[in-house]
Amino acid sequence: MQPPIRHSDRAPSPRAPDRSHASARRMAALCPLLVLLVPFLAGVALTAAQSLGWLLPIAYLPEQVAQGLSAPDRWAGWRQLAQPHMAGSLLLGLRVAGVSALLSVAGGALLAYGVWRLPARMQLAALVFRVPLVLPHIVVAFLVIVFWSRSGLVSAALYQAGIISGQAQFPALLWSGDGMGMVMAYTYKELPFVMLLAVASLRRLDPRLVETARMLGAGRWAVLRDVVVPHLVPVLHASFLILFLYAFGAVEIPLLLGESTPAMPGVAAYDLYFLRSLEDRPAAAALLTLLLLCCTGFVAAYVRLVAGLRGRERQL
Amino acid sequence: MSPRNGKGRGAGWPSGGADSRPRSHPRSHPRSSLGSRLFLAVLWLLFGLPLPVLALWAAAPGWAWPDLWPAVLGGRTTAFVLANRQSIAGALTSSTLYSLAVVGVTLCVCLAPARLLAFGRFRGRGALEGLLLAPALLPAMGFALGLYGTLVRLGLADTPAGVVLVLSVVSYPYMLRALASGFETVGPDYGHCAANLGAGPLLRLLAVELPLLLPAAVAGGSVVFLVAFSDYFLVQLVGGGGVPSFTGYLFPVLQSPDRALAAMLSLVFLVVPVALFVLVEGLVLAVYRRRGM
Repeated sequence: MQPPIRHSDRAPSPRAPDRSHASARRMAALCPLLVLLVPFLAGVALTAAQSLGWLLPIAYLPEQVAQGLSAPDRWAGWRQLAQPHMAGSLLLGLRVAGVSALLSVAGGALLAYGVWRLPARMQLAALVFRVPLVLPHIVVAFLVIVFWSRSGLVSAALYQAGIISGQAQFPALLWSGDGMGMVMAYTYKELPFVMLLAVASLRRLDPRLVETARMLGAGRWAVLRDVVVPHLVPVLHASFLILFLYAFGAVEIPLLLGESTPAMPGVAAYDLYFLRSLEDRPAAAALLTLLLLCCTGFVAAYVRLVAGLRGRERQL
Repeated sequence: MSPRNGKGRGAGWPSGGADSRPRSHPRSHPRSSLGSRLFLAVLWLLFGLPLPVLALWAAAPGWAWPDLWPAVLGGRTTAFVLANRQSIAGALTSSTLYSLAVVGVTLCVCLAPARLLAFGRFRGRGALEGLLLAPALLPAMGFALGLYGTLVRLGLADTPAGVVLVLSVVSYPYMLRALASGFETVGPDYGHCAANLGAGPLLRLLAVELPLLLPAAVAGGSVVFLVAFSDYFLVQLVGGGGVPSFTGYLFPVLQSPDRALAAMLSLVFLVVPVALFVLVEGLVLAVYRRRGM
């Protein structure tokens, strides 16, 4: 393969065949990924098809149709979604994903700033923040139960301190319908993720900028707001989007810390798919298609929002 | 949780930090060591506490509310692990093997596309990158449940190959991103030099680019390994019990009221990733030292 030669507009004759050659080479470079991209796209397409009753693993036999059993019409699965508890489930997903991603990004940025400012000899000890990266989601959910349930360690500590006199006085933080336990689990699991990215980004920030701002009379919060955060903004936007999308669609933490009504959207689809009758499969597929569409919509809206904010900054 | 820590730290700063700042060199970090120590203590309390608590739970099966320290320690969970060592070791081995296979598959598949993303300048590059990263951003269930019927028909359901395929689909974007930024750091010049000296694409990849990409590949591989090794849902769905996994072994115990056993098995779970990371870091260091880089 030759080094990519950039053709200028002054050499028009070899341009057209060469461009097709370059795009063919591009296609060839992407070929190995098709092994994984094709199953992904096929899976998404099959889910969408099944939501319309096509290509389902079950089919109605002619004699069943003669007995009056018939396949539901195309949009039955989608109509089944038009129920209040589905809206509740989507709203819960939005709230849990939004709050946990916001807390992780804000807390992660602050803690990363703290780690970055530590003297060099303390940097090694600060690596402790990577522990939750190694813990799987299901173990983080278990830790939340160990610490924050009514029979957990925080409740025991408050009892020993004489603040509460029994388990019943400890507020029901988990399984109380507002998804608080899931928010705690996601936030704890994702904080180190944001910190990892933010510390790496801060290492590219010249510390003299902070010193200069301090010398020119900026307070601590002004330094944070006007020097550090603007430097971190791209990383924070990217990690917010990643964390939000993950928490919106994942099932592992909700399986341990969530409830059945309102269920997180992923768990609602899981229940429809596995715990109900086969006739609910189109509805499960419809819900999953809706989730995929929502996530794609979030990405598009977020990218546009960030681009808009940047555009406004440039104008100022 | 964390904003409060931030505030606490801010309140702790002025008293200790004010007098030492003027003396410090402008480029050195100005925070006093008292503030630093406080911050470090908060960090350890926040992120270091879970492991000792898990260890204490594992050693104290009879720990009950409201004791802050278990009244009696016992070896029941250790006895359980020893008695079931074969199934536990089997699950750990299976998880490790399919996760390593996922790392291998994603590495092989992502090298050429990563070079394209790093050096290629063409129309629609952003859209292509978005499409290629989509499997990690969109809910995994969305494609997995649709694909499941096809996997059954192809005979891939309940097989390690099916598990590796599905886990590779959700984790390759991390490898792709890591390798692409690795290519960007290394730059295209080494590859061009090798090509000018007559190296073919394969030799160029193996002898020139891959060694330079080692740190990026290790970083991407670590994330991919963790994603595959920690996954519960996809392995259960596609492996269907035919492929043992440690998360599949752990999950019912986490759901049960036996917190001591759950803590013990969580600690056992951590052995593999931690050991592997120490091993890999050591190997990378050794390789670089031998090459004098």
